[in-house]
Amino acid sequence: MSESREEIPVQRPWMAIAQKVGTPILSAALAIAIGSFIMWISGYDALAAYSALFKGALGGPKQIGDTILRATPLIFTGLAVAYGFRAGLFNIGAEGQLFMGGLAAAALGVFLVGQPWILVVPALLIASALAGAAWAFIPALLKARIGAHEVITTMMFTYIARYLVSWLVVGPLKAEGQIPQTEALMPEAQLPRIQGLFSEGALEAFPFLNLGRAHLGIVVAIIVAVIVWLILKYTTLGYENRAVGFNAFASETAGISVQWTTVKALCISGALAGLAGSVEVMGVHHRIFDQFSSGFGFTGIAVALLAKNHPLGVIPAALLFGALSAGAGTMQLEAHVPQKIILIIQALVIFFVAAEEIILWFVRRRQKEAMSHAG
Amino acid sequence: MLGDIITPDLFASALRMATPLALAAIGGTLCERSGVVNIALEGIMLTGAFFGTAAVLATGNPWIGVGAAMLAGVAISAIHAFASVNLRADQVVSGTAINLLALGVTGFLMELWYGHPGTTASIQVLRPIFSFSSPGGGFLAEAWRWVNGIVFSHTPIVYITIIIAVVAQWAMYRTKWGLHLRALGEHPRAVDTVGVSVYRGRWVAVLMSGALAGLAGANLTIEQVGSFTENMTNGRGFIALAANIFGRWTPVGSYLASLLFGFADALQIKLQILRDVITVPPQFFLMLPYVLTVVVLAGVIGRAVAPAAVGEPYKKG
Repeated sequence: MSESREEIPVQRPWMAIAQKVGTPILSAALAIAIGSFIMWISGYDALAAYSALFKGALGGPKQIGDTILRATPLIFTGLAVAYGFRAGLFNIGAEGQLFMGGLAAAALGVFLVGQPWILVVPALLIASALAGAAWAFIPALLKARIGAHEVITTMMFTYIARYLVSWLVVGPLKAEGQIPQTEALMPEAQLPRIQGLFSEGALEAFPFLNLGRAHLGIVVAIIVAVIVWLILKYTTLGYENRAVGFNAFASETAGISVQWTTVKALCISGALAGLAGSVEVMGVHHRIFDQFSSGFGFTGIAVALLAKNHPLGVIPAALLFGALSAGAGTMQLEAHVPQKIILIIQALVIFFVAAEEIILWFVRRRQKEAMSHAG
Repeated sequence: MLGDIITPDLFASALRMATPLALAAIGGTLCERSGVVNIALEGIMLTGAFFGTAAVLATGNPWIGVGAAMLAGVAISAIHAFASVNLRADQVVSGTAINLLALGVTGFLMELWYGHPGTTASIQVLRPIFSFSSPGGGFLAEAWRWVNGIVFSHTPIVYITIIIAVVAQWAMYRTKWGLHLRALGEHPRAVDTVGVSVYRGRWVAVLMSGALAGLAGANLTIEQVGSFTENMTNGRGFIALAANIFGRWTPVGSYLASLLFGFADALQIKLQILRDVITVPPQFFLMLPYVLTVVVLAGVIGRAVAPAAVGEPYKKG
């Protein structure tokens, strides 16, 4: 009897949403639970670790600002990976496009001295998007024309980008001084901090506005996420992207050029990853150097998967990983748990989202139990 | 100047550099021939490299390290097998999770066990098997210097890898197991129909690729470097995948393709010695293997055909 009930589930709108959001939330919860188990068997105090992590990520306006700061590039890389996935492409090399985007902003920003902020900032953002798209172009072309797997090619381009930047910051673009880095950007080329937009008085009256190092990039990120969502939902470009991702063969038969769509998808993905590089340069470091990204391109994969490749879902997913990475420092300082545990949790999240069957198995078992209790 | 570059050591070095790539590439070949994409080679290699080093640090015996590396490779690849075969997860995504997991676990344990990130202490390494002396002048002595340098200068895993390539090629094309393996990747339903378990066959192939990539990690730490550094595989797992494609999904082909990449690596190291003569920044030499990988993929793909069912989960029934 319970068999037949399972086969004809009653579908209500809230159930559809709960199903969509349910597995990612369960995946994240399960990953965090296993993370605490790992801490426990390693002899750490998991409760102290998570409370330190929570304190470091959300303990006050400054900490919340730090979470936003780290979520900002992750929204872009998450969007980049998600956009690719929606066309059936896995842009594992978002990190490389991020490097090229950051490079474009850092290199061009030094030249646009004396121009007004309102011109320089959009110019740099566009330049970094173009640089990211350009870096994805060759892998895109190779994929479209001869089927070379984008996972290998974009990964190789990531290594090439990193060596290129590491040469430029000791060579042609090196600033005066001992440290291998580029010249600092002038204020008109920077993305200002959010707290900097308010007067002293306003900050005193509303202390929650004192968001530490968080900068305006988050606003750009949210706007871009909405744009990507609109593109995917309402435009021909987005429709073709989704169609090719869903069934390339059928799309080709229906008159959509799979090759051209592939090239566009991977280049747009690269452009989004490029923007991640520019917000890091323009909002955080104000210059580029070897280690300016802490693997945002790779974390973007976890973000996209957790968001189930939905552009708006990318925002909360990025905030979660932003919080984990913002709290990791406090966790290591206070509970002495190595920060690498965050990487393990990230990997588990990806794994559980990919192997949804595990989660569904849990859910079905619970449902069965509930039903047998009800019956 | 050319004499400084073209030496027996250049070719010997190419063989050494090719070894970890070839082991992982042959692992990738077995895995993909069974119908499972293995993007996790990078992470499995890193896991093997770490646990191999840890075992040597604990016991002082490099061979125990080699065993530990292979076991660790099998263990972590079991996760990939479970996800791809039983749970029918997206194999590329599962592989990505394992790469990240390997990075996290090795970094976490490094701090837990040794109290610091970065690089471990030096370990007891495996030495070259033979040590023949090179006698004085003359043409014969010179010829012997080349043969000795290229053929007899290596550590055990370098030779083991060549044996593995040949044996795997033979097994794949001359045994019933090999026939089943190849059929798994082309038409799993047919294999199921004749009463051979698809799940079991794919599990075995994924675990073997884990053992081989683990051995590749052991070669890196226990034979080449002599210590473990975080993220030391540096993309080799992905280059190995390219070598597998360039070798057209055959073990000996994978080995030969790895030799090409190994040679490029050996050459870029040699060229760096001439930094005073050729004023090219070292970063450009370091880029070479990655550029070569893209070029090779671009040149070969149209003519290389992947197993038909690779990447597709199989559902019994």
